[in-house]
Amino acid sequence: MMKNPEFLRSISKLFGLVLPLITLFCCQKNDQLFTLLPPSDTGIEFQNTLVENDSLNILDYLYFYNGGGVAMGDINKDGLPDLFLTSNQNQNALYLNKGNLQFENITSAVGVAGNSSWNTGAVMADVNGDGWLDIYVIAVVGINGFEGRNELYINNQDNTFTEQAAAYGLDFKTYGTTANFFDFDLDGDLDLFLLNHAVHTEESFGRASLRNARNERTGDRLLRNDDGKFVDVSEEAGIFGGINGYGLGLTVSDFNQDGYPDMYVGNDFHEDDYFYLNNGDGTFSERMRDYFGHTTRFSMGNDAADINHDGLADLISLDMAPEDETVLKSSEGDDTYRTLKMRTQQFGYHYQFTRNMLFTANPDAPFTESALMSGMASTDWSWSALFADYDQDGHQDLFISNGIPKRPNDLDFIRFVSSEAIQKKMNENRLMDQEAMEMMPSGAVNNYAFQGDGLGNFSNQTEAWIPEDTGFSGATAIGDLDGDGDLDIVVNNINAPVGVYENTTNDTGPYLKLAFEYRDTNRFGVGTKAYAYQNGRLHYRELYPNRGWQASSDPVLHFGFESSAPVDSIQIIWPNQEAQWLRNVATNQTLTVTPEKTGPYQNNAAGSEQKFRKVAGNLGIDYTHKEDNHTDFDYQKLIPYELSDKGPALAVGDIDGDGKDDIFLGGARNQKASIYLQRTDGFERIEYPEVSNDSVFEDVAASIRKPSFGKEGILTVASGGNYISPTRKVLGNRKYVPASSNDGSSLGAEIFDISSVIAEADSLSGPFTQFVGGYSSPMDYGKLSPSVLHKTDGSKIQLDSLGMVTKAIWDDFDADGIKDLIVVGEWMSPKFFRNKNGILKEAAVLSNEVSGLWQTIIPFDIDEDGDTDYLLGNWGLNSKFSASAEFPMRMYYADFDQNSTTETVLAIEKNGQYYPLLGLNELAEQMVFLRKRFPSFKDFAGKTIEEIMGPEMLEKATVYKINTLASGFLRNSDNTFIFEEFPSELQTAPIKAFLKGEFSGNGKESVLAGGNYFGVIPFHGRFDSFSGALIHSDKHIELGNRLGLRLEHKSVRHLEIVRLEEKDYLLVVYNNEAAEIYEILD
Amino acid sequence: MKYLTRTLWVTVFAVALLACKEDKKEEAVVAAPIEIGADLYHSSIDKVTQIMVHDIFSPPVASRIYAYPNIAAYEIIAQKDNAYKSLAGQIKGFPPIPQATGDSVNLPLAALIAHMDVSKALIFSEEKMETYRDSLYGVWSASNPAEFTAAKNYGEQVSEHIKNWMSGDFYNQTRTMSKFTVDTDDPSRWQPTPPSYLDGIEPHWNKIRTFVLDSAAQFKPVPPPPFSMDKNSAFYKELKEVYDISQEITEEGDDSEEIAIAQFWDCNPYVSVTRGHLMFATKKITPGAHWMGIAKIAARQSKADFNKTVFAYTKTSIGIFDAFISCWDEKYRSNLIRPETLINQSMDENWKPILQTPPFPEYVSGHSVVSGAAATVLTDIFGDNFSFLDDTELPYGLPARPFASFKKAAEEAAISRMYGGIHYRAAVEVGLEQGIKVGGLVVERLDMIQTP
Repeated sequence: MMKNPEFLRSISKLFGLVLPLITLFCCQKNDQLFTLLPPSDTGIEFQNTLVENDSLNILDYLYFYNGGGVAMGDINKDGLPDLFLTSNQNQNALYLNKGNLQFENITSAVGVAGNSSWNTGAVMADVNGDGWLDIYVIAVVGINGFEGRNELYINNQDNTFTEQAAAYGLDFKTYGTTANFFDFDLDGDLDLFLLNHAVHTEESFGRASLRNARNERTGDRLLRNDDGKFVDVSEEAGIFGGINGYGLGLTVSDFNQDGYPDMYVGNDFHEDDYFYLNNGDGTFSERMRDYFGHTTRFSMGNDAADINHDGLADLISLDMAPEDETVLKSSEGDDTYRTLKMRTQQFGYHYQFTRNMLFTANPDAPFTESALMSGMASTDWSWSALFADYDQDGHQDLFISNGIPKRPNDLDFIRFVSSEAIQKKMNENRLMDQEAMEMMPSGAVNNYAFQGDGLGNFSNQTEAWIPEDTGFSGATAIGDLDGDGDLDIVVNNINAPVGVYENTTNDTGPYLKLAFEYRDTNRFGVGTKAYAYQNGRLHYRELYPNRGWQASSDPVLHFGFESSAPVDSIQIIWPNQEAQWLRNVATNQTLTVTPEKTGPYQNNAAGSEQKFRKVAGNLGIDYTHKEDNHTDFDYQKLIPYELSDKGPALAVGDIDGDGKDDIFLGGARNQKASIYLQRTDGFERIEYPEVSNDSVFEDVAASIRKPSFGKEGILTVASGGNYISPTRKVLGNRKYVPASSNDGSSLGAEIFDISSVIAEADSLSGPFTQFVGGYSSPMDYGKLSPSVLHKTDGSKIQLDSLGMVTKAIWDDFDADGIKDLIVVGEWMSPKFFRNKNGILKEAAVLSNEVSGLWQTIIPFDIDEDGDTDYLLGNWGLNSKFSASAEFPMRMYYADFDQNSTTETVLAIEKNGQYYPLLGLNELAEQMVFLRKRFPSFKDFAGKTIEEIMGPEMLEKATVYKINTLASGFLRNSDNTFIFEEFPSELQTAPIKAFLKGEFSGNGKESVLAGGNYFGVIPFHGRFDSFSGALIHSDKHIELGNRLGLRLEHKSVRHLEIVRLEEKDYLLVVYNNEAAEIYEILD
Repeated sequence: MKYLTRTLWVTVFAVALLACKEDKKEEAVVAAPIEIGADLYHSSIDKVTQIMVHDIFSPPVASRIYAYPNIAAYEIIAQKDNAYKSLAGQIKGFPPIPQATGDSVNLPLAALIAHMDVSKALIFSEEKMETYRDSLYGVWSASNPAEFTAAKNYGEQVSEHIKNWMSGDFYNQTRTMSKFTVDTDDPSRWQPTPPSYLDGIEPHWNKIRTFVLDSAAQFKPVPPPPFSMDKNSAFYKELKEVYDISQEITEEGDDSEEIAIAQFWDCNPYVSVTRGHLMFATKKITPGAHWMGIAKIAARQSKADFNKTVFAYTKTSIGIFDAFISCWDEKYRSNLIRPETLINQSMDENWKPILQTPPFPEYVSGHSVVSGAAATVLTDIFGDNFSFLDDTELPYGLPARPFASFKKAAEEAAISRMYGGIHYRAAVEVGLEQGIKVGGLVVERLDMIQTP
């Protein structure tokens, strides 16, 4: 190996590595959880040294910087995990663990140095079923002159190995990333999934269906172990193997708890990730779209573990979103709105966004994605994720490895630097040489450590837990190297020594290690599950040691506990689905478990109580809301979210005067509204020409009112959309009055703006009949639109600056017997208007200002103390927006470039400073002067909003501020209202609708909440994870996915009860989807 | 002899900075007049071109960046040169510039300063323009501070006047107008193309105030052949022709004259290249810049003096400016889909054009219209059958090509778009005609030469 110091120095200079190398071992804080051990202490001198030159670099091989592999396992059965490390271009190394964190390089003596030109992942598994760990090394073969093949080193049980890949049928010459040995068909031996990656240049997307055509080199493979010979069953098992499969991440877990292991495959670039559910018959079904609303885009490593003690494996998938503001603003980010639309709708790909994704599992329902809320969305160029209880507090934590020698997505490099370098080299053959590539900025960054709280939330403990380790870290393995009970970490770095992180928790936190001695040819018990119960809390683990990035960890289950008291019980589920119980197990020990007194496993997971069931035929309601092709962001490039997707309008009431509820469902622009009249066995759509002829309007709110004369209802429809036609007439509100009615009142003010809500008053509301909320002036977001109050005498009051109203209710908040008016909206606090002597007067009833992006409100005694509280739907916390009382989110509104068109610019706080939410490309698309002010991205990146826009420009702007994004409730305390946040499961997406009703058959009212929202640019992703929730009280909330509701991946706009034949049904109305009817079960 | 030496220093400004120090010592008493040769004007244009390549401007916007600075310079020299007439009153909304007081102002110097100053307002990387300008200012202020200051004051005054007039051309308003709406339900409608799938650029360029054209639609071309994927339709045949030509010439490979032609006239300011996570761009000059380059060749070859050089650039850039408006008006009227999209959809999923498809609708070909207009104007100035060796693309790695006339060059530029696989025949042929009409109108309407 290269030990020449002169050479090392030149290498480190070459990569700008001088600083990282120096800092790597010098900045240890005494109280950190991990200690980084230098090679001089451990004896591990291996390092993956990359040598790039004009003929081999990232231009020739796109995964040049993906790094080597690491596998940890006890190859000599001395109780100490040993280490195998791969080098991309040089020899691999095997280090024997001698105890006390001392290692001996035995590579040359045992014949495992390898023969391939380019090695990637390495895993350990007992491939031949003799009880000894073998080593499988993955290679890239067949491009750039790379030779060799995947190598299988069979353990000779005497510290030597024999390469036998060909004999086992595993000598693949593909573009390999990593592999996973597990028993997919539960026949007792280990099968193999080999993850390969495409290398072709991403010139155009190509159709998603490319994945159906198998490619020998790039396609992933499933190999069934038939008595020691691995047989390729990919095709018949339903495994995709296309030329577009950029396979980088692989996790095996029994996600759906049916006993058969499933797989999550992370694919880089535009190819979707694959979610393979094991059918139990030797085949898999790819069910990505059923279980995931969206995924990572540049998917890298992934890992599964139960992070919230519910016995289900949750999942993280890594991407490359930078946390650092300067790096963030100088790097290429997400797609444009239109490109994403094209990729999903025309080319057939799923929704993918550039940041980490944390998926929490739900029983028999889609995953809930909450990385933004959980604080781990942006960890820069991330490779390996490994969940484990590193601090032994009883909850799963997370280690993420990070860094790339050069950032190829640097915007200055893409737009300016590269082309000028190319220009100079025009006469040479190569498009770009090493010198040009040196101009890419270094992506040397630190690794990340997150502490879990057992509820799905994580706090960044990087500084507290791990030494300064800025560099290029990749493959990571974990295990208890020194036998002190905690998990140590080993990281294979590029151009730096292997990182050995000694965990100093030792036994200060209670631990338990479970090793298995299983039978047949799976002695290590791969696929075994353990459910440990302590103090009523479940700790669930399953053994799939080939995990992490191009790596495998010690094949032992490690638990941390809150209490050092004995673990009450542990249920072991062996791969053959036999169960066995261990009782009263002492902590702080390593236990080897063998099958004993086993019995058939019964999955007793209590099925939750289903309260709703979809009604086949939908009671005749065949309404589908269909938005037109209009995209607000084509017109107003900087608005924070769309304005033209406020529909559809819904009104339930008696239209035909038969005493029964009918339904009005408005249309989007150029879509006819639908009116459904109630018949005996359901609803019938009836055409009312005077209503359908108005299809040019975008209906966003509606009401049906009983007239003072006659029986038939008066229909009022409010319009929205975000267009300015020459007359603006399409933004007018309409009233349809039946001939039988004497109602001669006009609709009132002809305000051609975007409306939002119609709140009908009643006899308890004094002289008021109706409130019509104004939302915004079209094509001028930030300019308030008037709201209008109608009175019984036909007069009206125009309220010009109420705010961006989204919802209004008439409710007696001061308990004086007269209904008052409460209005909520975006960029404002809820407003309470006391109704007294026929006059509405704003009352200061909030204990504190709670400005938010309020979407809806409903009165409900959530704390069960007898008075009325108010539930409020907000944007939620699972978002790139951020707001607090100390640091409100700001929206500046002005015509900054003075060209008669206004702009909105959002700014959020980071480390005490305000930065624009969006980058230079986005901002300059609307405000070209910024290009002149910031000719390069590095001039722009890291600048505050004040530095970017200039103080004089900001001073001229109207500033909207909000101090909370959380949905929550106003607790009534003697008619003063105090805002309290809902728990995190209600913060995953905007809450857009509430419905109060009796859903539990016990005569007690609860509130059903629905939400989700998609009218944002890809930078924000999709708020698709909220499955709805039934709020019984502030202490009792049930998620919709446990109750039979399927509200995920759709944007709920209305929840309403319709009563048919003495029975209540739930009507769910979505934006741009078919409305649904649920039966309410008793 | 001394006089001659200084002219040379000014031209080679990098040397000049050093040289002028010595100069001061020698000439403490008498300051000789500052002589401005045509080459300095060429250099200023070249500098603007370089900065534009760096900053990345779309072809229509680039045409605007050339035109206004030229007009500023031209108006300054035209006021005292009996050979030229002012454009005031001849181009839309253009008020006469303030006149230089007395005879003391060095007009070529003021013209050059105005050119640099207006250019600086139009490009993004001001610092690059300032560095270039300041190196010249250093020389001039050292050699004759009084003359320089007077010219600078006047040049900047005119520059302000031009900028003020320019601000009314609706460019600023069009920056915040809507993007092109992609509607894939209409099979004939333009869609973003690989590899970057960029938005259609400048969908509102027809709202920019023209110089000479009565309206953007004055030379509205015949519509393209009706969209049809019927194999016997005229449209389909043109589509097939693009595909067949590309297959044929790709087979010929490096020997193909057609490929050489396509590449020579590529003139794409931003060709993005993607290799996995690595992205970069190869950037070239725009079609307008290429014709500015030809104007330079013609001016030098005909030994045009400073004023004639400015005149040639100005008239040509006016023609190009209106040509883009005329062309873009049609592009976002017909909104026609590019061959690449259709060929990928229906003939060959893996087909890629020889040139990267630029991000805007197909009909008519921009390069054809612009080349037609520019060639017509240049022919009017320098005469027909003006043969020249076009080495404009040398800095971008492409060999020089000889042409017998401006018209021949324009014809080649037009057909190059078919060879490049980015246009159908109709767009090229109709586009060239349209450009000739625009150029013809500029020639006919603009009365810039004083008849003795």
